[in-house]
Amino acid sequence: MLTMRESINIENLSKYYNSFLALENLSLKVKMNEDVALVGPNGAGKSTALKILCGLIYPSSGTAYINGINVVEERERALANIGAIVETPEFYQFLTPNETLSYLGRLRGMGGPDLSSRIKEVLHLVKLDEWAGVRIEKFSRGMKQRLALAQALLHNPPILILDEPTIGLDPRGLVEMREILKKARKDKTVLFASHMLAEVVQVCDKIALIDHGHLLVYDSIPHLRKKYHKSLEGVYLKLTEGAI
Amino acid sequence: MNSEFEKLKIVSRYELLKQFRRKRFYGAVIITILAQILAIVLYKGLNVPASLPTILPDTSKLFALFITSLGSSLPILFSVFFAGDSIASEFENKTGYLLFPNPVKKRTIVMGKYIACFIATTVVLIIAYVVSVAALLGFYRQLPIEIWGALGLSVVLASSVLSLAFLFSSVLKGGMGATIGALLTYLLIFPIISGSLSASGHQPWFMLNYAGNSVTSVYGIKILGFGGETGAGFTTPSIPVSLFVMLAYFVFPFLLSIWLTQRRELI
Repeated sequence: MLTMRESINIENLSKYYNSFLALENLSLKVKMNEDVALVGPNGAGKSTALKILCGLIYPSSGTAYINGINVVEERERALANIGAIVETPEFYQFLTPNETLSYLGRLRGMGGPDLSSRIKEVLHLVKLDEWAGVRIEKFSRGMKQRLALAQALLHNPPILILDEPTIGLDPRGLVEMREILKKARKDKTVLFASHMLAEVVQVCDKIALIDHGHLLVYDSIPHLRKKYHKSLEGVYLKLTEGAI
Repeated sequence: MNSEFEKLKIVSRYELLKQFRRKRFYGAVIITILAQILAIVLYKGLNVPASLPTILPDTSKLFALFITSLGSSLPILFSVFFAGDSIASEFENKTGYLLFPNPVKKRTIVMGKYIACFIATTVVLIIAYVVSVAALLGFYRQLPIEIWGALGLSVVLASSVLSLAFLFSSVLKGGMGATIGALLTYLLIFPIISGSLSASGHQPWFMLNYAGNSVTSVYGIKILGFGGETGAGFTTPSIPVSLFVMLAYFVFPFLLSIWLTQRRELI
């Protein structure tokens, strides 16, 4: 039987921060064009897993593949396939969105009129076109988060890795960001870490629930509801019972 | 996909843009110009040649030695301010979350940042020498050839001090700590070691601050207090040895900073 190609393949990933075990033998496979939410309590290991996928930290053991490329051994080649937002986005204050996106786009091999038109396109998508030439030091947190999404989408990557992309947004910003994500995820694989289950339901098809670095469950949202006869929130509370 | 060399050019370009957008760069330029003017005014106003322990004629060489010894030291110190937060800030301000998930090697990022800091420092250094050259031409109508040697050695010294600052920046968590650490090492710890060695009759040829004094040795004028001469030791740094020492201080801390940055995790 033919299986769909895996965009993300995490194999027995463990990570220690000194003596603290943040991830323990985590394995997870995300197929092409799947939208998967990584959920779990604070300190569950969500950000650690995403940071390993983005080449920001190194696993203590195990490995991870992006489009079949080992992130640890071929970091740069693997990263060429992803667009990422990790933690609260911060930018170079002295640069404008145009300059920032131009910098990051060029690093990814873009250039010329194609890059300029793509920058306009993504800034329009995140509703920052009027701020394109303003230094980022003047930006609010919400504006920075929109810009973070713009840089993640700039090179039209096949895989999006998003760590709490809507945290701290006001209700309007939240709705707008969700709409942008819904549009942006077409023909893309999305691995999306979030605490907000209501948001997860709208953006993702499957959830991977982790706690204390362990994968508790990985299934489609409708199937989980059916299996546990509960809402997603109920499933979450049941499976993370006793979590600190 | 771009080659790493293309990426190096891109990183250098945008890092330089960041340096030129910062107020500290323009502050460094203004302070350097003012310090140079002050040095010229003091030299002429206090009649320095007549006040030296050994009275020397007021020549263009002596004037160049006096003003370039001051003029080159300031931009070199400013280089620490340019470089101190170069790497540390990516971790401290979390801008690394934006830059590091891109398909670019960390060593390319460090090298690009170094090139940008080096260019910013060299610009300030050249401005200091332009003031010196203008004063020399204005007062003496001649330019001692040694001034170009002093400029060359200043550039090499600046590259070494930058490497030292990069090393601190790759180790410490904060940019401020890295800047202070590099400044204290260069301005306090190295002189204490050099001074102690000189006082005990050992030439501290391997110390960066001592080798840096070769900037004034090029003029071939021996004056107590200039060019590494100290009361007890009274030695002058050899220019070829100093050049070798400064290059070593450029290479080793820089390679170490690349290695440390590659290993460093953005938690």
